[in-house]
Amino acid sequence: MTEIKRKKLDSATVISIVIVLALYVAVFVAEQFIPATSMLFTVIKKGATYALVAVSMNLLNGFTGIFSLGQAGFMLIGAYVYGIFTIPVISRMDVYQYYNGGLVQFTLPVFVAMLLSGLAAAFLALLIGLPVLRLKSDYLAIATLGFAEIIRALFQWDKLGPITNGSNMLRLFPNFNDFNIRNADGQVVVYLSTLVPLLIAGVCIFVIILLINSTYGRALRAIKDDEIAAEAMGIRLASHKRLAFCISSFFAGVGGAMLAMYQTTVQAKSFTTAMTYEILLIVVIGGIGSVTGSCLSSFLFVACSEWWLRFLDQKQVIGDFEVPLLRNGFRLVVFSIIIMIVVLFFRQGIMGRKELPDLIRQLQGKKVKGGASK
Amino acid sequence: MSENVLHIDHLTMRFGGVVAVNDLSMDINRGEIVALIGPNGAGKTTAFNMVTGVYTPTSGKITLMGQDITGRRPDEITKLGIARTFQNIRLFSSMTVFENVLTARHLRRTSNFLSATFRLNAAEEKRMRQETEALLKEVGLYELRDEMATSLPYGKQRLLEIARALSTQPKVLLLDEPAAGMNPQETEELGAFIKLIKDKFDLTVFLIEHHMNLVMDISDRIYVIDFGKQIAQGTPSEVQNDPAVIAAYLGVDEEEEVSPA
Repeated sequence: MTEIKRKKLDSATVISIVIVLALYVAVFVAEQFIPATSMLFTVIKKGATYALVAVSMNLLNGFTGIFSLGQAGFMLIGAYVYGIFTIPVISRMDVYQYYNGGLVQFTLPVFVAMLLSGLAAAFLALLIGLPVLRLKSDYLAIATLGFAEIIRALFQWDKLGPITNGSNMLRLFPNFNDFNIRNADGQVVVYLSTLVPLLIAGVCIFVIILLINSTYGRALRAIKDDEIAAEAMGIRLASHKRLAFCISSFFAGVGGAMLAMYQTTVQAKSFTTAMTYEILLIVVIGGIGSVTGSCLSSFLFVACSEWWLRFLDQKQVIGDFEVPLLRNGFRLVVFSIIIMIVVLFFRQGIMGRKELPDLIRQLQGKKVKGGASK
Repeated sequence: MSENVLHIDHLTMRFGGVVAVNDLSMDINRGEIVALIGPNGAGKTTAFNMVTGVYTPTSGKITLMGQDITGRRPDEITKLGIARTFQNIRLFSSMTVFENVLTARHLRRTSNFLSATFRLNAAEEKRMRQETEALLKEVGLYELRDEMATSLPYGKQRLLEIARALSTQPKVLLLDEPAAGMNPQETEELGAFIKLIKDKFDLTVFLIEHHMNLVMDISDRIYVIDFGKQIAQGTPSEVQNDPAVIAAYLGVDEEEEVSPA
């Protein structure tokens, strides 16, 4: 980093960076010793994916004040672009069995394809942003929601089958497990399948943090605070909103590619509005306008929904006593109650607008137990 | 005569059947403090909004240093050198005093979003911060730089709005009722402050104000409008004794403020 930045780095920021790095090391070490099938890694992988998408949504909703609900649509595009360009050529006949092996007959490296996922989402955001960003608040939300639905339908269209495989799923593309380093016998020597997604999300979120703290980030916050004043201070609203929309969509696209890797398959019908609402929920619970909050809450959200609350779905017997109410679906009831409690009593979310360094500054040198931030 | 900076030529603004500003012409010269006064609803703020690009005039022309700026976007006009404050304070509420002023430097950037994000423009960012600090010192807000803008007392918020406007490096400063809500002492200080920054930053000041003491004290020239039409203009003493002005104000409660006392 640059000179002024270094001058500005106070102890709280340094401690935050150390905490985050320590978490990365912890994940790396854990991965080598704990069986790869552990729920912990599932949660971290999905959590990292959701964290990236949540932060990208926060960039729009929390920092620019654009209420967009198109996240699932941009994730879908990212996931499909990734899938389409990374399925190995020999597998294409199997995947595109109804479409003669499909149109695309080459394969791109994983990271190039991920970059392309982001760029494709950003380009589409640029196009739909032209009409849509003229709208405000609720109207914008409805328009972006509609756009996501249109995309979902479009990708299942039979005529696009040679590219999107119609309503059939894309599969056999490289997933997170391919990041593990194997020896000649195919045995895993170094486990990286959890660390790499966490790293990808971390780098992307770091870039977003850099953007937020740049002069452009300040301009975006100014637009959120007061559009009229921002414009009067020489900030061009249209171009800055478009910029935020494209950048947010870029990272949602990368997040979509990560989701594809996590799921190992891609199918358009799974990118529903409910997915956008999940992300929105994460942003709200974490705190609108806090990157740390979005990260924390996405791990918590994923852990609760995939792991910690799973026992509620099964019959539990303590001694002779069979706990009443517990049956399939009860988890969702408890989950809803938790969310209601958060919304009622922690209206600012977990973090409000604070970030990790702010928290450390508050604790002033006391020992800090860091959460899974970044 | 000195150099003409802002020229307003037969400006008219119609909202449906209502004529808010009717055939208004003004000339503002470099280094002057010019006030626009008139009873409530006379069309003063509408005139301001046309000059700053918020409204596109129905007819007429606005020229800034020879350049036609009629109907340009507000951000373009600010870039060309007209900065403003608002009648109802509009600070960036999530930001500190320092950030408020720093944000107004954004329009003078040379970086794009990539070079700004990846800190390729470190020198520019550093310069922006230094200039902001210097500006805050000059207007006397430096001690308060890390306070949240909205937590400042009212008078300081007004001051911060002016500082933020100055940060865009304007040639003409438009102040929309800068003394609104201030007590007499604060108003007096504000008058001195406006004169001070005018000289320091080589500004031309154009203001709307209801505090007649302030207007008479600092203005070089005054334009008076009522019902969107200009009814008088001239130096403070000329305007004060103008029968049309007295008549316009007599009908409303502010009569004693405008009478020569």
